[in-house]
Amino acid sequence: MNSFATKFSPTDADIELRRAQEIAEEEGMSDVMWGSEAGFGNLVNGHAFNIPSVPDPSSFLRLHTDDHADPNCKIKIQHGTTTLAFRFQGGVIVAVDSRATAGSYIASGTVKKVIEINPYLLGTMAGGAADCQYWETYLGIQCRLHELRNKERISVAAASKYLSNLVYGYKGMGLSMGTMICGWDKTGPAVFYVDSDGTRLKGDLFSVGSGSTFAYGVLDQGYRWDLTDAEAQELGRRSIYAAGHRDAFSGNTCNLYHVKEDGWKFIGNYDITKMHYDGPGEVAGAPGGGYGYDVRTQGRFSALAPTVPA
Amino acid sequence: MSIMDHNGGSVIAMAGKDCVAIASDLRLGAGAQTIAMNFEKVFPVTDRLYMGLPGLATDVITLREKFRYLTNMFHIKESRPLQPSTFAHLLSSTLYERRFGPYFCEPVLAGLELTPSGTYQPYIAGTDLIGCLNFAKDFIVAGTASDKLFGVAEGLWEPDLGPEDLFETISQTLLNSVDRDAYSGWGAIVHVITADKVVTRTLKGRMD
Amino acid sequence: MATADGGAYSYSLTVFSPSGKLVQIEHALAAVSQGTTSLGIKASNGIVIATEKKSSSILIDDSMIEKVAVICPNIGIVYSGMGPDFRILIAKARKSAQAYWKIYGEYPPTLVLTQEIATVMQQATQSGGVRPYGVSLLVAGYDVHRGPTLYQVDPSGSYWAWKASAIGKNMINAKTFLEKRYNDDISLEDAIHTALLTLKEGFEGQMTEKTLEIGIITVPSTEELEAGKIGGETGRPKPTFRKLTEEEVRDYLAL
Repeated sequence: MNSFATKFSPTDADIELRRAQEIAEEEGMSDVMWGSEAGFGNLVNGHAFNIPSVPDPSSFLRLHTDDHADPNCKIKIQHGTTTLAFRFQGGVIVAVDSRATAGSYIASGTVKKVIEINPYLLGTMAGGAADCQYWETYLGIQCRLHELRNKERISVAAASKYLSNLVYGYKGMGLSMGTMICGWDKTGPAVFYVDSDGTRLKGDLFSVGSGSTFAYGVLDQGYRWDLTDAEAQELGRRSIYAAGHRDAFSGNTCNLYHVKEDGWKFIGNYDITKMHYDGPGEVAGAPGGGYGYDVRTQGRFSALAPTVPA
Repeated sequence: MSIMDHNGGSVIAMAGKDCVAIASDLRLGAGAQTIAMNFEKVFPVTDRLYMGLPGLATDVITLREKFRYLTNMFHIKESRPLQPSTFAHLLSSTLYERRFGPYFCEPVLAGLELTPSGTYQPYIAGTDLIGCLNFAKDFIVAGTASDKLFGVAEGLWEPDLGPEDLFETISQTLLNSVDRDAYSGWGAIVHVITADKVVTRTLKGRMD
Repeated sequence: MATADGGAYSYSLTVFSPSGKLVQIEHALAAVSQGTTSLGIKASNGIVIATEKKSSSILIDDSMIEKVAVICPNIGIVYSGMGPDFRILIAKARKSAQAYWKIYGEYPPTLVLTQEIATVMQQATQSGGVRPYGVSLLVAGYDVHRGPTLYQVDPSGSYWAWKASAIGKNMINAKTFLEKRYNDDISLEDAIHTALLTLKEGFEGQMTEKTLEIGIITVPSTEELEAGKIGGETGRPKPTFRKLTEEEVRDYLAL
């Protein structure tokens, strides 16, 4: 094809999308009308979303959708979050906060940021809540189909790669996700970081979101492979507390999950202010008393510091 | 993000019966990061007048010192009590002096004004960052949680509250408003001003 | 170099003589004592300031002469000495009162305005290329904090608060007269009559409503203050200083 024509014609991905969209429209009545496919009906005949009918949809979307490169765009997607996951001897710990913000407004304090993909897989949610929820649920469908086809559970590596390839197909169209796919497979405990840029990383320890730096601070200081279950759970809780305390866009409560050989288990929900003043309560691994600096150091002042002999 | 939101923080003032109250949160942030949880934003001007200064922290401190200087000079020069209405005009004209390069603060005043008959009358007022005075009979709000404070105060405030009820009302209003604002909170401080004394209380708040 | 009456220190620049005197200021005071007599009396419910209005020729339209001046709604000033110097000070005082209003949203207390004028007059005794103002002033005003107050300001920039005082040509006699007549609970009406009687002592020519100027401070009632605070229709408080009209002066003279 001559280069001049290429320059002004839509990309291959755009053509693909446009064609899928046309097919869906031509069929007229799909199964969606029966309400039996929980919103995934439009995916049965290939991924077909309505896309803006302009010559270059991705540049159009980039112009109007939230993007870290452009803070002035019209459509806002929630960004503030703290999520973390780490692998250790006893499995995987997944801990997240529960705050949703729209600008400076705290829209909710009871958001579920851990998405239970299936009994062995968890995904965390940072970035666009809808994007994470939708695609991770969709990932759950695909994982089940894989199980049926292959008579064995999908590996965490394969599941995360499926998601990463999928979002890569929408690159530049405004998807916003920063997620950790966590689970237990034949290889043992596994954590993968996947984001909407298409990045996919295997690792022992990740934290994602505006509060991640604060969480890493606590996490790096307390992390060891041979952590006991109680110690590991406490580290996850304590890290989310630190982020909730210092980051304006994280907080309210902490949801804690533990993935073991027999699947994930929900450990508990902890109020961050309560952890500050009183601690997480009667739970394994908790030191007793509040995490707050002023609470821990009550009655001790710099003025009363012991004198150090020269 | 606006420079007014950079450090976060909010202030509210309420009028009661023969008393006024003014309260602020205690957060000092740098964008999303919370730096300190003991940054008070309400300062005494006279025995019966307090000023709240939410906004850019560097200007909060500069203005606090500027008005400390101006009120001290007033007392020395005129050797008479500085009334809230007089201070409000001083505040307004001082802020307008920087019309084209303003201080990024929205001051709130709460005090008791001496009437010609010798009684004290509740006085609350607020200004924008270039000194447009706004008087109210009920309450004045400012800071990053101002829209939330408006909503909650509109629902909780009622006329002729005594000092104790006013304290309860302003505390609940502030605490519940900042819980919906990412940039405010982390504890609060409340001053209730009556003719014979000022009662100051520090409140425990959500620490996230 | 030395002149007959000023001595070696009679430069336009105010310079100390070895005996510690500022001769220029003494000259200014001399100019004041040649001016027409003015006086002020503080009563229990107000203040009166008054002066003799003298013109050198019957051809002068004396209705245009103003010797008692309104500075702001709560302050008035009368002078003895040089009219043109007074005019300059009045302009400065009025400007200063408005500047104060612009900052504080209210007019200055009498003491503050008096200090402001005194500062201007003092500066003329210490600056190069100028001479001191050739006037003494009586400043009468009302403010909420101090009530009605009467101040005298001299060319040196000194000021004092008075219960009653006189300046100008006949001041010694007038003060002696006032000392005899004054008591602490004199009413404003009595004070106005005392003022007229005092001026009459040294008056040159006929004392009529054309040759007299009188200004009064009235102390507002609590109700008036309460209303004035809000400002009423005009947004301005009710004035506490005003000049008496010719009719009012005539009525007082008739009594």
